[in-house]
Amino acid sequence: MDLILEGLALSFTLESLLAITIGVAAGQILGAIPGLTASMAVALIIPYSFYFSPWVGIPMLLGMFKGSFFGASTTAILIRTPGTPAAAATVLDGHPLAQQGKGAKAMKMALYASVFGDTFSDICLIFFASLLAIVALSFGPAEYTVLIALALGSLGMLSSRPAWKGIMAMLLGVVIGMIGLDPITASERLTFGNPELEEGIGLIPMLIGFLAVSEVFRQMNDKTEDLSGDAVWFSSKPEDNRVSWPEFKSCVPVLFRSSILGTIIGAMPGLGATVAAFIAYGEARRTSKKPEEFGKGSLEGIAAPEAANNAVSGSNLIPLLAFGIPGDIAAALILGAFMIQGINVGPLAFSQNPVPLYAIYGALIMANLVNLVLGFGLVRIARFAVKVPRRLLLVSVLVIASAGSYALRGSLFDIQLVFMFGLLGFVMMRFGFPTVPLLIGFILVPLLEENLRTVLLLASTYDESLLFVFQRPAFVTMSALMVLGVLFLAHRRWRKRASPTPKS
Amino acid sequence: MIRLLKSTVLALTVAALVPGAAMASGYPSKTITFICPYSAGGGGDTASRMIAKLAGDMMGVKINVENKTGGGATIGIGAVSKAKPDGYTVGFVSTSPITIRPHMMKAPYHPLKDLTYMSQFVASNQPLVVLKDSKFKTLKDVIDYAKANPGKLKWSTSVQRGGPHVAVEAMFKAEGAKATFIPFKGGSKVLAALLGGTIDFGMMSEGTKATLDGQTRILAEGTPNKNPVAPNAPTLIEAGYPIAPAIFFGVAGPAGLPKEVLDKWDAVMAKVVKSSEFVALASQRKWALDFAGHDAFTKIVHADYNAAKIAVAEIGMK
Repeated sequence: MDLILEGLALSFTLESLLAITIGVAAGQILGAIPGLTASMAVALIIPYSFYFSPWVGIPMLLGMFKGSFFGASTTAILIRTPGTPAAAATVLDGHPLAQQGKGAKAMKMALYASVFGDTFSDICLIFFASLLAIVALSFGPAEYTVLIALALGSLGMLSSRPAWKGIMAMLLGVVIGMIGLDPITASERLTFGNPELEEGIGLIPMLIGFLAVSEVFRQMNDKTEDLSGDAVWFSSKPEDNRVSWPEFKSCVPVLFRSSILGTIIGAMPGLGATVAAFIAYGEARRTSKKPEEFGKGSLEGIAAPEAANNAVSGSNLIPLLAFGIPGDIAAALILGAFMIQGINVGPLAFSQNPVPLYAIYGALIMANLVNLVLGFGLVRIARFAVKVPRRLLLVSVLVIASAGSYALRGSLFDIQLVFMFGLLGFVMMRFGFPTVPLLIGFILVPLLEENLRTVLLLASTYDESLLFVFQRPAFVTMSALMVLGVLFLAHRRWRKRASPTPKS
Repeated sequence: MIRLLKSTVLALTVAALVPGAAMASGYPSKTITFICPYSAGGGGDTASRMIAKLAGDMMGVKINVENKTGGGATIGIGAVSKAKPDGYTVGFVSTSPITIRPHMMKAPYHPLKDLTYMSQFVASNQPLVVLKDSKFKTLKDVIDYAKANPGKLKWSTSVQRGGPHVAVEAMFKAEGAKATFIPFKGGSKVLAALLGGTIDFGMMSEGTKATLDGQTRILAEGTPNKNPVAPNAPTLIEAGYPIAPAIFFGVAGPAGLPKEVLDKWDAVMAKVVKSSEFVALASQRKWALDFAGHDAFTKIVHADYNAAKIAVAEIGMK
């Protein structure tokens, strides 16, 4: 107990609070700029972090990461441009709400969901870190394969009429996702000998082009649209600009489920916030009472991805603290910052010197509160920032999209990609092809392929061949749960059919 | 009006003279671009930014880090090789894209002809690690198992087709043993796979800290530099195998850099690696500091390039 207080005392200081505030503010702003990620900002700061005391530098970094997730969703909602890839799923329901004049409501829902997801996963980190870490470590390629296959199944049900258009879009996404090096043999696929394509299509230029630039093209092409009005219209009715208590309450189950999903996915190295957001979105739609509202401006459709992507930010510290394994680039940077400051993290830290860990916990919780407070400020600023004529905004989106994609890795090729995907998205919308299946095919199928093929490679080393997966407790547990789930659904459907209710 | 014209002429003359004057007083006189072929946040990027800051302070100029990624780091290095050889565009280089990958793919440069190797500042360790309670106690145990059970042993390294991958494949080839390489993206995922029981051994820099943390044991070292955490573990060369490539971080420029530039960087980098900031960063990241100036670094690169060429051809990796 003394140790806990000692740790909290380290981070509950005025300097730390100030550092967190600066970090969260910087993170929110950076997150809102497409192409600029919190990871890049942290990389820039690291050479200077020697000159900070640890309890200024580390809280600032943590604040930055948390702030960036929410910042990214404001642009996703208002101008259909996800500030970071993790906010791509927020576009799906956030932007329709903004078009209905309910942009402020959408942003506030995103803020509540972000802070909820953050806090949930921080609590899991504090109380169940070692337990969750062991669960996460027992997940190997076999379990990842099942998990991603499940996610694909649940996302694949996202409706599109006619179905063949959805399937075509998804297959196109798969083909685009396959460009680059083969995950097992590392030979080149679909690169046409172009070294720029060897590492595959970058997620950021692809998302910015496909979601934001395509929308700009659409509006420019649409002769009936009035381009002289305000870029984003805000309703003057107060109930359209806030999230009411009943609305929030109806999202609570989704918030919990998505936070759990995000926490589990975040604890496993290699899946990440973007995947978590899409999986939570699909899961929310599958379990929703009003699935027909998804894609048209459902609050649950914002709550799910936002809670899940923020939950990742806390739980990817779990493998870091428990095993010294950074779950993603953000965690790797935080690890670097800890090390520069001479703080050991890893399995021995808990027993040898847990005080810095408690200080980290304190900083995390504080960062969540600061994120909530500053988030309201950002919503106000964002509303103000889009008060420009639409034609000006369209041009600025093109400039920001190009500059952001170039900034990421200094590649002109990425700007070409932005416009190619902008054109592709525009053509698809023009001919009534759904865009979401393409994103899912692009993001999830390569992960599925990588893990499935690793499983097949592993199978070749066992006498029992592919059946080796049944020696893995995590695989057996997951498969059992999946079978039970399918049986439950089938039972429910069968009962519904047996007793026809007046419900449509 | 005349006064304005006069001062303009004066200003222009001064402006025209300044570069000349600076040239005479020596390199460097303006901002240097430092190309990092890896994305922001990785080890290569952190090292680049640290070097840029410290070397820039010592030379009294600004050094801008530019991330030019892609093509397994060959795109950024290609940009360095095509820059004007005046010392104002240099870049970060590491083992894979210099001594290993060019034998397997078409790189946009020839490592021995198109680049000048200025200084090596880090030579990291690549320990071969097994779980703490693994049945393998020595490197020989691993080899014996692989021989007795062809293809059953599972292992990985942080970079597929990088230096350690080639070194271990060459070891199995020399023993006539067969094992299965399972690719993972990055050393931390290899460590996770090892701890989770998916693979039997790994070779990655993360193994050093994991051993200090009591999770793993080191059986051998995949570079020429003994691992400080396990001084008794032999390097692959000591164990009698064909290759143990140096895993280095260095600075390189385009071919044909003037001697003045090379001397300046040799002097500055020798000081940078001794600076307290860099020593702290390296010790926390478990980088072994191993400074080598222009001549020594060039020798290391040439020797490793040629050794890897033979090894890659022998094991038939392409």
